[in-house]
Amino acid sequence: MKQGLTSFIIFVLGLPIFHNFIFPMFQTSSGLNPARYVGFILFVLTFIIIHLILRLKPPMAMKALFVWGFGFYFYDYVLIPHIPWTLFITYMMLWSIGTFLYISQDAATFKEFRRPIVKTIVGEYKLARIVVFIFLPVFVGFTTYKSLLPKFEEPVELRTVHPAPPATTRVHGKTCALEKTRNPFRIQEQDDYQTAFPFLDVNKDFGKGGTGAQYMKNVTEGGTIFFQNCHYCHGDQLNGLGMFSHVFNPTPANFIDPGTIAMLRESFLFWRVSKGGPGLPNESTPWSSAMPPWEEHLKTEQIWKVILFEYWYTGWHPRTFDTEPAYIGAPVPPGGIGSDPETCM
Amino acid sequence: MVRINKVKGWGFLAILLLVFLLPATSFAALPDPVLKDKVEAGKSVYFKRCVWCHGVEGGGDGPSADRLFTRPRNFIQGTFKIRTTDSGELPLDANLIKTVTNGLPGSAMPAWGEFLKKEEIEAVIQFVKTLVQDRDFGDEDEEVNVQDFGTNPWGTQGPYHLGVPQEAIDKGKEIFIKNKCFECHGGEGRGDGNPTMKDDWGFPIVAADWQQCWNFRGSRRDPYNPFNIVRTISTGLNGTPMPNFREQITIEDRWNIAAFVNSLCPRKRIDPLANKPVSDFLIKSKYTEGPVSNNLDDPMWTAPYDDHKVIPRADDYEGDQYRSYVAMAGQITRGNRNFKPKVDNLWVTSRWSPEENAVYYLLEYHLRFLSTNPEFPDAVGIQWPGKLQDLFGAEKPYFIYGDSKKPVDLWKAEFMAKDYNPANAPKPEGYDLDLKVHEYIGNGFDAIKEKETEPTVQVVASKFHQGKVRVLFKRSLTNDNKETDVQIPSETFIPVSFMQWSGYDNEKDEHQALSTWLYTILEPPVPDSIYYMPPIAAAIFICFQGWLVWMTKRTRKMWDEGKMK
Repeated sequence: MKQGLTSFIIFVLGLPIFHNFIFPMFQTSSGLNPARYVGFILFVLTFIIIHLILRLKPPMAMKALFVWGFGFYFYDYVLIPHIPWTLFITYMMLWSIGTFLYISQDAATFKEFRRPIVKTIVGEYKLARIVVFIFLPVFVGFTTYKSLLPKFEEPVELRTVHPAPPATTRVHGKTCALEKTRNPFRIQEQDDYQTAFPFLDVNKDFGKGGTGAQYMKNVTEGGTIFFQNCHYCHGDQLNGLGMFSHVFNPTPANFIDPGTIAMLRESFLFWRVSKGGPGLPNESTPWSSAMPPWEEHLKTEQIWKVILFEYWYTGWHPRTFDTEPAYIGAPVPPGGIGSDPETCM
Repeated sequence: MVRINKVKGWGFLAILLLVFLLPATSFAALPDPVLKDKVEAGKSVYFKRCVWCHGVEGGGDGPSADRLFTRPRNFIQGTFKIRTTDSGELPLDANLIKTVTNGLPGSAMPAWGEFLKKEEIEAVIQFVKTLVQDRDFGDEDEEVNVQDFGTNPWGTQGPYHLGVPQEAIDKGKEIFIKNKCFECHGGEGRGDGNPTMKDDWGFPIVAADWQQCWNFRGSRRDPYNPFNIVRTISTGLNGTPMPNFREQITIEDRWNIAAFVNSLCPRKRIDPLANKPVSDFLIKSKYTEGPVSNNLDDPMWTAPYDDHKVIPRADDYEGDQYRSYVAMAGQITRGNRNFKPKVDNLWVTSRWSPEENAVYYLLEYHLRFLSTNPEFPDAVGIQWPGKLQDLFGAEKPYFIYGDSKKPVDLWKAEFMAKDYNPANAPKPEGYDLDLKVHEYIGNGFDAIKEKETEPTVQVVASKFHQGKVRVLFKRSLTNDNKETDVQIPSETFIPVSFMQWSGYDNEKDEHQALSTWLYTILEPPVPDSIYYMPPIAAAIFICFQGWLVWMTKRTRKMWDEGKMK
């Protein structure tokens, strides 16, 4: 019994010490955070080694408690990002079954495991019986109380990240087929201009065939429009953290994120910018997007320039189709096609 | 006097940092000279990231400047707000690095610390220093005196810096009154003292609202740290009417005044990305037995603004209320867009009473000055889905005035304060409001109609006091206008949003501030079963325990008697 008590004290003291003082040292900011897991494994190993050195042999029920407790700690605190509670319960059930298998591997260990429990129930451990038999009914009563207390959390609304674009969109009186629409200002490879200066280089003779000035002029104009209209939500850093961003739910798109403009085609952006939240499709509603329909404030060419700027600033490349002209022979959409069918201008 | 001009670059910075850390009186030194080898690298950062607001020549006149309040900094005169040097002096490199790294909360200047590399920030500030035309960082006559700020006498810790003794706060309040800080910052610190202030360039400027410390420009993403306030009192804010009080107030008392200012700011969980309190997207309406009080000072309506998880409710707090923080933005979608809203949050508190068959919403917000022009009255409103019963699932009308298929029901209170003039000293008892409620049906921006039915929405209490507006709306849960008016069920999540117009800044119609759709819910009363079910459950469990003991003993007996193997 004394051995069990020592072991229990090591466990009860060790876990908070590890959690509050040692574990934070293992946290690195990088994505997968392998140091956390190394830290946890080292802690468990230390726990085992201390037991070996002190030649402690805690009773089976206590061993089971330790195994179960380490599992709980791992799933609730070590594993990041934290798993949803439904998954957590599933994992803990599996873990509990595993612990039980460990206990009941043969009749002797199971008997050993049972012994203290039986002794508690029949009253051979008098103090333990009093504590357990008083604590459990109070716990049940408290849980009942908690479950009866009315409690309301903000409802969760799930939505698709990228809506399906329509086949065609009509902007400023011109209909364009999104599948083949391209940005008329993407006349040069943008990587050649990553270090060029907006404002300063718009009159310089540089770039392939002297078109650098034109390219940077378009970027400058696009940036000007962005910083007069868009940065309030999408942010000065294009990271979706503008001054108004925290007001809205869902929050504005983060263009730095590889999951937004980096995986979209420019024609998709053109459609989203022109039509905004009200132009989103009926499927998968509600979108709750606060994005204004910018065609009301911007000309078609301005929208294209903003899109050009967004890619230049973030360094992402828009997704494109292969050059195969898949649209040849496609039917003309109702309402006719714009004067330049490829740019909607 | 310590003169340092031989040591270059990092050594120089390190020594200055050391000087800054020493708890001694101020040192006079030369400003950090421009590190010429970093200017080119800084220029490429500047022209990619900064030029859009601060302009090609650093004149604070980039494309966005006219649509920002406060305007971006004009670097040409070498005027920098947040420094550790004396009033009117140039900043240290370390000051500028901190400003770029942490941004200037409450303005459009974001924190660049996570976006740019450290070397890029160090380079860009060198380029910014070359944009200063009227002064020269290499001038022998320029002096920088790094101020002595003492140390936090209470040793409080972030993020909330709780545990400052009440005596320090009271002492600070005395100094606040003695030095007439209220002349600009207002009697309760909401920045509502002086409507005529201008910055060095003649642009209008307002005093800081101490009750929204997350907007302090120098808060360095640590809004509750009293050090920020000590620094500002000691160094002043260059380019603004804020002087330093180095001579008038001793360093100990500067910490006391910081304690007072800091105590006014509600402790809310701050979103580390937005640098603002986390918005409450669910407004709970408290169930009320009997009628609801129309008195705004009744315990039914008073509650601390602090998050109760950060500061537990005091023992002597009689009420049961929780306030919700609602973030607001300018309307920039249609018509006359509002890029510079003056109100960026509301506090909402609600109750409902089945006995009265009525629901109450108390809207509160900080506004420095009210309108005196009847053409542009102040206003605040609550927007509901007009036909809640027709909405399916999480469907909502368009968040600004609804759409053609899904109408909204808008309750708007337009008001002017009685006998009010922003230039006069405020009345100690506050101002009553000359108020009128309008009810609209919105079917989109171009289809907003005032209802023709009998008005059913009332404002039962309202007040403007020391830069705070309070308006208490009341309406019956249900009424006869089922086609146009929202019918409010209990225990259901109902979309709700808020709108606000500042008449003093000529906000009107679609030139307004607004929130997105939030939810509200009329909480049910606590069921009676909560009093008898827990003991019953516990009793049942005790019976189960008894059975377990009996069973175990019986099994053991059988075992002992050899009946089981």
